[in-house]
Amino acid sequence: MGFTLQGVEEIASLHGEPDWLLERRRNAFDVFERLPMPSRIDEEWRRTDVSGLDMAKFSEFEHRNGAGPAEALEGVAGTVTMRGSEIEAVRLDPELAGAGVVLEPISVAAKTHPELLETLLFTQVRAERDRFAALHAAFFADGTFLYVPDGVVIDKPIVGQVFSAEGGTAVLPHTLIVAGRGSRFNYLDEYLSPADEAAGYKSGSAELFLGEAASVGYVALQKWGRNAWHLADQRARLDKDASLRLFNVTLGARFSKTRVEASLQGQGAEAELKAIYFASGEQFFDFHTLQDHQVGNTRSDLLFKGALQDVARTVYAGLIRIEKGAARSDAYQANRNLVLSDHAKATSIPMLEIDNNDVRCTHGATVGPVDPQHLFYLRSRGIPETTAKRMIVQGFFGDVLERIPFEHARRLIETELEARLG
Amino acid sequence: MATVPKVDVGTDYKEKYGFFVPEEYVFKAKRGLNPEIVKEISWMKQEPEWMTKMRLRSLEIFRKKPMPTWGADLSVIDFENIFYYLKASDKQSKTWEELPPDIKATYDRLGVPEAERKFLAGVSAQYESEVVYHSLQKELTAKGVIFTDTDSALRDHPELFKEYFGTVIPPADNKFAALNTAVWSGGSFIYVPKGVRVDIPLQAYFRINAENMGQFERTLIICDEGSFVHYIEGCTAPIYTTDSLHSAVVEIIVKKDARCRYTTIQNWSTNVFNLVTKRAMAYADATMEWVDGNLGSQITMKYPSVYLMEPGAKGDVLSVAFAGKGQHQDAGGKMIHVAPNTTSTITSKSISKAGGRTSYRGHIKMYPDAKNSKSFVKCDALLLDDESRSDTYPYNDVDAENVTLGHEATVSKVSDEQLFYLMSRGITRSEAETMIVNGFIEPFTKELPLEYAVELNRLIQLEMEGSVG
Repeated sequence: MGFTLQGVEEIASLHGEPDWLLERRRNAFDVFERLPMPSRIDEEWRRTDVSGLDMAKFSEFEHRNGAGPAEALEGVAGTVTMRGSEIEAVRLDPELAGAGVVLEPISVAAKTHPELLETLLFTQVRAERDRFAALHAAFFADGTFLYVPDGVVIDKPIVGQVFSAEGGTAVLPHTLIVAGRGSRFNYLDEYLSPADEAAGYKSGSAELFLGEAASVGYVALQKWGRNAWHLADQRARLDKDASLRLFNVTLGARFSKTRVEASLQGQGAEAELKAIYFASGEQFFDFHTLQDHQVGNTRSDLLFKGALQDVARTVYAGLIRIEKGAARSDAYQANRNLVLSDHAKATSIPMLEIDNNDVRCTHGATVGPVDPQHLFYLRSRGIPETTAKRMIVQGFFGDVLERIPFEHARRLIETELEARLG
Repeated sequence: MATVPKVDVGTDYKEKYGFFVPEEYVFKAKRGLNPEIVKEISWMKQEPEWMTKMRLRSLEIFRKKPMPTWGADLSVIDFENIFYYLKASDKQSKTWEELPPDIKATYDRLGVPEAERKFLAGVSAQYESEVVYHSLQKELTAKGVIFTDTDSALRDHPELFKEYFGTVIPPADNKFAALNTAVWSGGSFIYVPKGVRVDIPLQAYFRINAENMGQFERTLIICDEGSFVHYIEGCTAPIYTTDSLHSAVVEIIVKKDARCRYTTIQNWSTNVFNLVTKRAMAYADATMEWVDGNLGSQITMKYPSVYLMEPGAKGDVLSVAFAGKGQHQDAGGKMIHVAPNTTSTITSKSISKAGGRTSYRGHIKMYPDAKNSKSFVKCDALLLDDESRSDTYPYNDVDAENVTLGHEATVSKVSDEQLFYLMSRGITRSEAETMIVNGFIEPFTKELPLEYAVELNRLIQLEMEGSVG
């Protein structure tokens, strides 16, 4: 295959996609061809080096492989599992299906629910954004489409799980979530591969549409292998009184860049954007966030917490934007970095653009080591240094961790912390 | 190059600040920028060859460097339509009485003699591009302190001058530093010898008075080991009809155990582009403090910075910005931690009103050697109405071990409770707002000498008048 127009057509015909989707892929491909690779002259990429990324090397798609994560998913209302670039299975509680909930691969939903997909797909995560977004929109493999009708409440989480094991390939899953008025549910995207998987190109983007008074929890857990390139976009649109809790847990990949954006378009909407990241070894993580208050009486609360070990580097850059008419908005933004080693590097750029005076906006950033007093306290009680350090890191992540609405995800993080901190 | 739009400087400017003195110049260079004009400036000043060469080299750098694409929109500046050198009178006056009458009239409105009588050690008042009035108390001369204009320093102290000039901010640092190095004229030169403390602030008043005339003054301050000096730079400017460019360079060297404070109250008229590079090098256990107030100009881009070069160095920036109608204050500070055990703080207070825009732009960089360093940044913004805008762009880069860095910012409006409290005591809304704004910038005001604090409060009052309907 390859990242060519022919490749675009091959994917579309493989899925039997309708014409409008093929057309959309073609347009995105044009954008991909037109846009240059970002360079360090671009402000967003000044500290984020993609010069070592040769996309052409990863232009093969990973086909369905037999392997999968050992742990079975339990206590869930529905699952979509992808192996490599292909859908393995879709399961949904029949009761929910009866209530009108739709959980389907995007390739299927494009035919069964064209009225929704044609109007929404790639309207939040747009190909024009940059070359990587265009690549994703032109070649996205498949992914999850979840529609929850008005008023439907789902207690157990729904999980999309992408597992890749081959390396040297492109794995480009996409998620589209539409929450009807007053619906309530939690959704988790898991991106997994063995830690030693060979280098490959991964995306994993998500678009969320929250109708009036919908309440949605979304978690993205990124634990690709430690050689991967990961570039993803998440963007949510919130209507009146909608409430979003969006969590990112970033642990994997050699290079990971995630954009997290919430567009508050209806009065009374509120978005909680939180993240935990732990960069060790030679990992590089980049987060760009946007809290876009387009109308008044909206709230957003952002907290990104990261730990850095070894020679890892992280970049956080976030913007709160309060548009002119968005009076009585309330926005908070904080980035906290815990530096555990001598050679890790953290950059934090929390930005504000405020165009209305009747608002409350606060932000903060910290970068610092483990508090020696905390360490001393624990050591004086006979706790070995490595354990004490782990406890401090766990405590540091605690306030975000406990808000993640899915036991399975929390356990995965705990295991990872133990593995890295001993 | 785009045409220059008509700028509204406000009809009340004359009443508020006072004055406009008709132009009367001894020498007026041609408009525009080319090697001939640069050579002419250097020839007029009878400069040594190395300076002429440096100017020409800087002009080339200026030509090559692109305009910055961030910050304010600078595309309206027409570099070919600016006078790069003016000289208001032939030779420097020694005493106040000898000053030309029209220049004296201007300073009378500003109260310079008053200030001098009260507590100022020396006045190096800059009228147009060259310092014309200069006095220094005898005791300072006796202590070995040099306080002169930069042109005279090049003539009278060539070796000291050559040793430090352009070492803190080389011409290639940025486009406007290159421009300044090519066409600089005037500014202050201060040398404080080892262990000498200058107890009274040194001060220079700045004026621009000619239409389309650029000011490219160049200030160089050297604080030798264990010394102390406080330098005050204040500016007001009368009315103009077209855009004017002010692009200064200030270089400061603070040696071991020395302390330097540099206070600015910038109040150019609201059609001036104020693009200034200010930087200090602080060595072992030295302290550098920038106290920087920006009230005037159409656009200001200024980020006083401190390079903390040796252990124990300390840097401070205290910045206040006020943006009214049509103004954009893009100000802030930079702290570059190069050595271990260095500390820095940046405190920024900004006020936006009547569609004005303030931006805090800062950079904290901790290089790998800056172990055990600390930095704290605090930005507060006050928006007085819903037409105005406030931005915060703090860049924090930590590459060193065991450092602590904190940044905090808040944006708010004048609180209704405070307003209600004051108004319930019979204070008018406009007065109450003025009081609240003055309270908001109080951490800044209290660092100023009394006279300046009074002047600042008065300026804020003038800016606030009629701001509330």
